[in-house]
Amino acid sequence: MKNRNGLILIFLTLALGAATSFVAFNALMGRNFEFVLSGNTILGQIPIRIDALSAWMILIINFTFTTGVLYGTGYLRNYNTSANLKLHQFLFFVLHLSMILVCSIQNFIAFLIVWEIMTVSSFLLIIFEYWKKETIKAGLNFFIQSHIGVLFIIVSFIWVMSQTGLADFNAVRLFATHQPGAVAITLFVLLFIGFGFKAGFVPFHTWLPYAHPAAPSHISGMMSGVIIKLGIYGILRMLLLINSNYIVIGEIILFVSVFSGLYGVILAIVQHNLKRLLAYHSIENIGIIGIGIGIGTIGLGLKNDFLAVAGFAGGLLHILNHSLFKSLLFYGAGSIYQQTHTLEIEQLGGLIKRMPRTAVLFLIAAIAICGLPPLNGFISEYLIFSGLYSSLKSNSFAFSLFMLSVFVALAVIGGLAMLCFTKAFGIVFLGTERKQYHVEPKEVSRMMLFPQYMAAVMIISIGLFPQLFLQLLKNPVALFVPDILNSSNGIFSYQSGILTQIGFIGIILTVLVFVVYEIKTLTGRNKINSVSPTWGCGYKTNDPRLQYTASSFVKTYSNLIEPILSMHKDVAVVNEIFPGNKQYSTHYYDKLEFYLIDKNLKWLKKLLLKLNFLQNGRTQFYILYGLIFILLIIFISYGEYIWNTIKGFFKLF
Amino acid sequence: MVNLLLIFFIVTLFVCATAIRLKTFIKAIACQGLLLFGIFFLRLNEINTVNLVLLLLETLIFKAVVIPYFLHYLIKKNKINRESDPYISNFTSLFIITFIVMTTFYLANTLRGGVFGNIYFVVSMITIFTGLFLMISRKKIITHVMSFIIMENGVVVLSLTVGIEMPMLVNLGILLDIFVTVLVLGIFANKIGDIFKEAEVGHLERLRD
Amino acid sequence: MSFILIILSSLFFTGIINRTKSILSGRKGPGIFQPLRDIRRLLKKGSVYSETSSFIFKLAPAVYFSTVFAAALFIPFGENRGLISFQFDFVLFAYLLALGKFFNIIAALDTGSSFEGMGASREALYSMLAEPAFFITIGSLGLLTGYSSFYQIFSSIHYSESASPAIAYALGLLASIVFLFLGIIENSRVPVDDPKTHLELTMVHEVMILDNSGFDLGVIFYTGSLKFALYGGLIANLFFLSSPYAVINILIFFSLQVLYASTVGIVESFMARLRMNQNPQFILMISSVSLLIFIGVMIVIGKI
Repeated sequence: MKNRNGLILIFLTLALGAATSFVAFNALMGRNFEFVLSGNTILGQIPIRIDALSAWMILIINFTFTTGVLYGTGYLRNYNTSANLKLHQFLFFVLHLSMILVCSIQNFIAFLIVWEIMTVSSFLLIIFEYWKKETIKAGLNFFIQSHIGVLFIIVSFIWVMSQTGLADFNAVRLFATHQPGAVAITLFVLLFIGFGFKAGFVPFHTWLPYAHPAAPSHISGMMSGVIIKLGIYGILRMLLLINSNYIVIGEIILFVSVFSGLYGVILAIVQHNLKRLLAYHSIENIGIIGIGIGIGTIGLGLKNDFLAVAGFAGGLLHILNHSLFKSLLFYGAGSIYQQTHTLEIEQLGGLIKRMPRTAVLFLIAAIAICGLPPLNGFISEYLIFSGLYSSLKSNSFAFSLFMLSVFVALAVIGGLAMLCFTKAFGIVFLGTERKQYHVEPKEVSRMMLFPQYMAAVMIISIGLFPQLFLQLLKNPVALFVPDILNSSNGIFSYQSGILTQIGFIGIILTVLVFVVYEIKTLTGRNKINSVSPTWGCGYKTNDPRLQYTASSFVKTYSNLIEPILSMHKDVAVVNEIFPGNKQYSTHYYDKLEFYLIDKNLKWLKKLLLKLNFLQNGRTQFYILYGLIFILLIIFISYGEYIWNTIKGFFKLF
Repeated sequence: MVNLLLIFFIVTLFVCATAIRLKTFIKAIACQGLLLFGIFFLRLNEINTVNLVLLLLETLIFKAVVIPYFLHYLIKKNKINRESDPYISNFTSLFIITFIVMTTFYLANTLRGGVFGNIYFVVSMITIFTGLFLMISRKKIITHVMSFIIMENGVVVLSLTVGIEMPMLVNLGILLDIFVTVLVLGIFANKIGDIFKEAEVGHLERLRD
Repeated sequence: MSFILIILSSLFFTGIINRTKSILSGRKGPGIFQPLRDIRRLLKKGSVYSETSSFIFKLAPAVYFSTVFAAALFIPFGENRGLISFQFDFVLFAYLLALGKFFNIIAALDTGSSFEGMGASREALYSMLAEPAFFITIGSLGLLTGYSSFYQIFSSIHYSESASPAIAYALGLLASIVFLFLGIIENSRVPVDDPKTHLELTMVHEVMILDNSGFDLGVIFYTGSLKFALYGGLIANLFFLSSPYAVINILIFFSLQVLYASTVGIVESFMARLRMNQNPQFILMISSVSLLIFIGVMIVIGKI
């Protein structure tokens, strides 16, 4: 019975995906799709436009949902609650549909409705394991923060609607062109904050590290892969419509993105929980996408086509890349959790012998996320680097210095990501297990492995043949930089040529590795190859506890970063001569979260406690409140009349 | 060529930030004296020759020879521990000083025009801020004094900004030099060693009423 | 062209370093080609693999070698381009080397020994700190010449054409010093790490390869020399003359490599190894000095 339900969902997802992908692919090639639903008088007309940008997002969404549903069916097989499962599957489909609609609808109110449906369904999907308290807390955190973001979006939409009277997205364009520059920038900032809550820019990110570990792994993978990209989609769409003051907007985006990128990766390194580490990494990658978009916008403002193309192409490609390797990483983490029932890095180890395929897939994703060639992460980072570098030769020293610092920041982000993922991959999969596993972990089922293979194939193919994917990006980038469609403008083919060379080098590299490995195997056939325990410098008892733990791996780093992070040490003081068992643990806490959220929450709670007397449970008081409210309304509506009477009364004197 | 010397001047500031042994600190200050000698020579070749020779001699002797010798003597005499303990770790202080360099260049560029765009002004600002920062972030009294010397080097570079038009300003800078040497090193540190046995800045609080 | 020269010079590079060090300590020292003989001996031996390690351990030396080999394809030779050259290729250069380091680090963690873990964590941190130095230096050189690929940058560094030739020369010198120290850091020589000892305090790179043996170890040693020769090739490019006779440039190349190797030997002999917790700020200092190079370039172009 269970298996059949899963199959129905898979079939539905594939069907929806295929149908929309067909339309989307056409739009990506330049044939836009437009369909106007005539709504009623409240909503106005509801245009459903799928242009190249929406098409790009829809294709990514479909791919990620396909892998997600395949993985999820396998992952959820171990759960027994069938009613919960059916609800989960229904919500999954609703989420898929709503996300596709979010990318297509261009009417304010309809957009908000679909956005809300998406938020609610993702919330309910996250709290799949509702019996755990932290899951519900995390889910509510996500829910509340999403709504704060929606509040900003609603305010901006209402503002535009009140000024222009239209409910179509194009109204934003009208609004921006008729208003002075500062107004347009304020509108953009409001929308940026609103969509930024969804995307996970710092300081609106605090829900991410809670929601991702709490959700089941296929949902985490999809959340990181596409749901937070909807925030980016919103920003990009608004950017298309507010086509003025690009430089200032670009600098704002760039500043926030650099900060997010650095902050995300700095905190990611010191996490103990594998999924939290990946969640902080998502924040960093959103920062990288933001950097791409930021420099693209600045390029538009400076009328520097190369910069604009490099920025937008890099950002858009990184959206695809990130959804691929992040979902792959989360699926891997899910497999680990399913087999070992723990996500604490410090307690894992040696999994590569037991789950070799998962390990290889995780390794491919880890190499990709660090931006190392020959995989796809490098391609998008390269595009962004080329844009940054070309903007170094500008006329203003301040601008060059700024670009140089962004350049250095991106390099540092890459280096820190490498530190983080060597730790994650190394400690989890390599070495020997640091704590005995209760159940011997085995390789996971084929159903769970197959979507991971799909994603890995995409990663490798983008890495080795990037020029094909760059061609696909031509139309979405053309939305921002219309000039490149002009056949005399050679930027795209130029970049294409470079990327071909990069792909070629990737192929050479892989071939070279195989050649050297084969030489070694061939020459080693006649020699003695023995196996023995790792050299322990003469220690007789080789204990797995002698291995480096994750915290010790990053200890040198955390010593340097200590001024920025706030660290809680649970130290056990050794007082006795023969001490018993002592525990020592360090936890790193997010300082921004502490200052922005926790302190304000405490203050708010104190304030609200004082008002506690209002809620005293006696019905008579509630009736009294109702009466006061009615009197207040009457008073206010007759306010003007009463006011004039009072004025007249005083005039008599 | 002068620009090159100024860049090496900033490199000595970096060395000061990461210096763990006090001897490295003193060597950096001596290097600064030599570099200033070179800068003076290359920049001020339009003023009165006698004045110029006096300035050059003074810079060379005081900054590069006398002050480091004095500092050495102090360290030996008061048996000060030869390491500098910082409040802020060396890594972070290097980072902060790099940040200071970048920000000062950026600010100077946005305030284009007149004296602000002059590179001597920028370098002097960097030196003064670095000296202030080092003063705040180090524990020992002797490093306190050495950061003051760095700051005062910065003031001398500042005087070079308009030194060609107003040679009197450069003379005033040199007088400040001599003032520092005589007062701070000759009297202050000699006597301080007699009163405070372990020369930590915190103990200066005892001077309060 | 440069590629062949780099391979040739890698054969004797480590030998010159060792010879210089021995001569400076008063001994005669091993021959210049001794490391080559060591590598040949290792390549013939069988290997011992640890029972905790997996296929990654066996794969890593191959990846390390291939990345450095592929990176060597980029180095130009004065006015001739490298075997591969395109715009912004130095980004690919840096990231290829990073790929090699990545595999080294996870191979070290693969053995499950605390020594390797220590070396791996330090190596990861130091390589992260050293990256900005490389990027800023190449970026500044690119700004100075107005081009953006290795070949174009190095073929158009004509020192006498810029506004103030003295400072351009000095910048070149400063850039080569930065590259010198970058090479020292990346190959883990004194003052960052001591390749001769296996004590805990000094281990960064040498300890990561503690468990490798036989063919793997030979490959790793050779790759180390190749990497050094790579950096030497970069430095040599800064000093080429634009002359029609290739022989002169070849001579300059080899003499610069020898000079580089002996400088490394001299630095190793006369500098004490830094305390391990002083290493991060030493590496950061290299990055800050490269920032000064950037500012110097800005002065030369006249932007300040």
